[in-house]
Amino acid sequence: MSHLANITKKELRELLTPGSLIPVVMVAVIFMFMGSMIGGEVEKASAPVVIGIADADDGVYSDLSIGYIETFYETYYKVPVEDLPEYLITLDSSIYGNDQAILQEMRAKGVTTLLFFGPGFSEDIASKEQATIELYFSEVSTGAFGNMSSPAMTGIISYVNTSLSTELLEDGYGVPPEEVGAVLNPIGQTQPVTFINGVAYTGITPYEISSAMSSQSMSVPIMIMLIIVMIGSIVISSMGNEKENKTLETLLTLPVDRTTIVSGKLIASAMAGLIYGLIYMVGMYFYTDGLAAGGSMDLSKYGLSLGGLDWLIILVSMFLGIICALGMCMVLGAFAKNYKAAQTMTMPISMLAMVPMFVMIFTSYGDLPGILQGVIFAIPFSHPMMAMQNLMFGDMTLVAAGLVYMALFALAMIYITVRIYRSDILITGFTKEDFKRMFSMKGRRGAGRS
Amino acid sequence: MDTLVVEDLHKRYGEREVVKGISFSVKEGEIFGLIGPNGAGKTTTLRMISTLLRVTSGRIEVCGHDVMKESDEVRRRISYLPEDAGAYKDLTGRAYLQFMANFFANGDEAKAMVEKGIALSKLGDRIDSKVDTYSKGMMRRLLIARAIMPGPRFAIMDEVTSGLDVMNAYEIRDVIREIARQGVTVLISSHNMFEVDLLCDRIAMINNGELILEGVPSELKERFGVATVEEVFVKAVNG
Repeated sequence: MSHLANITKKELRELLTPGSLIPVVMVAVIFMFMGSMIGGEVEKASAPVVIGIADADDGVYSDLSIGYIETFYETYYKVPVEDLPEYLITLDSSIYGNDQAILQEMRAKGVTTLLFFGPGFSEDIASKEQATIELYFSEVSTGAFGNMSSPAMTGIISYVNTSLSTELLEDGYGVPPEEVGAVLNPIGQTQPVTFINGVAYTGITPYEISSAMSSQSMSVPIMIMLIIVMIGSIVISSMGNEKENKTLETLLTLPVDRTTIVSGKLIASAMAGLIYGLIYMVGMYFYTDGLAAGGSMDLSKYGLSLGGLDWLIILVSMFLGIICALGMCMVLGAFAKNYKAAQTMTMPISMLAMVPMFVMIFTSYGDLPGILQGVIFAIPFSHPMMAMQNLMFGDMTLVAAGLVYMALFALAMIYITVRIYRSDILITGFTKEDFKRMFSMKGRRGAGRS
Repeated sequence: MDTLVVEDLHKRYGEREVVKGISFSVKEGEIFGLIGPNGAGKTTTLRMISTLLRVTSGRIEVCGHDVMKESDEVRRRISYLPEDAGAYKDLTGRAYLQFMANFFANGDEAKAMVEKGIALSKLGDRIDSKVDTYSKGMMRRLLIARAIMPGPRFAIMDEVTSGLDVMNAYEIRDVIREIARQGVTVLISSHNMFEVDLLCDRIAMINNGELILEGVPSELKERFGVATVEEVFVKAVNG
């Protein structure tokens, strides 16, 4: 077995332990569950709402309104006529005005939402006064999608209002049927047109695009941040352990080149990082898939999709990002005297991974002022975080520049790491004298360790 | 023939000089002890000999190879055991020996080396247990086995019995005598003067980065008219 393979195999055995894999798998499983739960909730929320209807008015307009509600369920929710009684439950109207009796009746009939037509509803409309429908809700949910019955009621009442207005304009006010639309909605709007990569797409707005992409905008930066923080922590801790146990001292006195040691550690850590990434990606796939099942927009018909080459670029970008992180971790790890000291060294890496993550979640690279764009570009982890969106929107310049920058950054880090492995710093740590020597010309001249 | 030659060796960290021009040599098959109090510069000297630290000035030659110019050649001939060293906790004793053997040999030769290491470690069935379940004595036996199994020409051991109980320390001294009998040159550092008196053919005393005395323990005791190496050291330091 070659020395490189020997070191890589050993490092992988140390990196891919049940202790390090279980948290990664757990996070992926949590994402899978979140996706299926949110998807299920969204689906539930867009399903027809079961409502109670009580008619204490029993007049022309309350009957008409109930008819409009039935039409709404048939046309909007696609509920067959014969199934309407399952969704629109008739409640006893004699309890009008008695809140406790209303609550009991709602519980008895198993409804959580009630539309109550009070006495005088039709009379008010007939006398050209505004009538009111009373709304009752018997449950408050703290879940994000648990209170969808209230916006659903707003939609239903709006539909009833429009339908009644049409009826009244035609019959009560003598407006010709062909003019009713113009009276109700004097201003209309055409289908919106949005230009994406120079192509005009009808029927979609930038807000709808960003909403549809919100799960990717959130999940990709979070996933990359998690990989970098986790792999960074493992690598730095492993170096702290190596120093504490003096296994590194032993390794450095073996007949093996220092570059081989650094390469073995880097390759193994990058492989472990990609395995972690793959596990996270499976979790993210099920997460976004769960959301899509709940009714996400299909962006591919607007040209916003990724092909095989795009995914390859994303993978390369991720790999380079991981190599950059590992290079930085190995440089930082070289200064850790022991395992405990190594733990604090992960902080700069975590911070550098979190800054672009928050930027990508809450805004975008293009929206940042020039200086901040420079800062974000300089952080190598930003590039895999924004690669997917840039590829979707065809911003190849930024993707290519990011890849070149990461490759150069990774090479610089590997070079510095090899230099450190060939110096005393790895054994003695970074002493005050080393620091002074770095910033003093006299020190530099006298630093000639032969 | 000298396995190790150290000439006017200096080591500086900035303005601080921790090794101040020491010179000594170790003959082939000899057990040589570098003794002195904590902080005297023993470990720094051993680390320079083992190619871990760069030499500020002076010269070190191991088996005829300069440690600075031919560090790869030196590493092929030495085996270094740091003080309080450990092994990779997630590996078993056998896997650890296998990992180390792969740097020196391949195939059947590596397998034979591992078998030799297992026999030397005297860990029995525990060789297949994870290293983090080992006692300090077991760990030290594994590491010494690791250091010896490739058949180095020169073994460098820093405070090799430090922290071990009487039985373990006795066994390890026995192992060192045995490898020296087989022709391996051994350089040990210790602040335990009793141990070096028992074990070493020759000793060098270091204090405050300077070599203050070198010779055969029995001759040094006779020269200073004292019964122990410890007393020789005290007299040498106090002039």
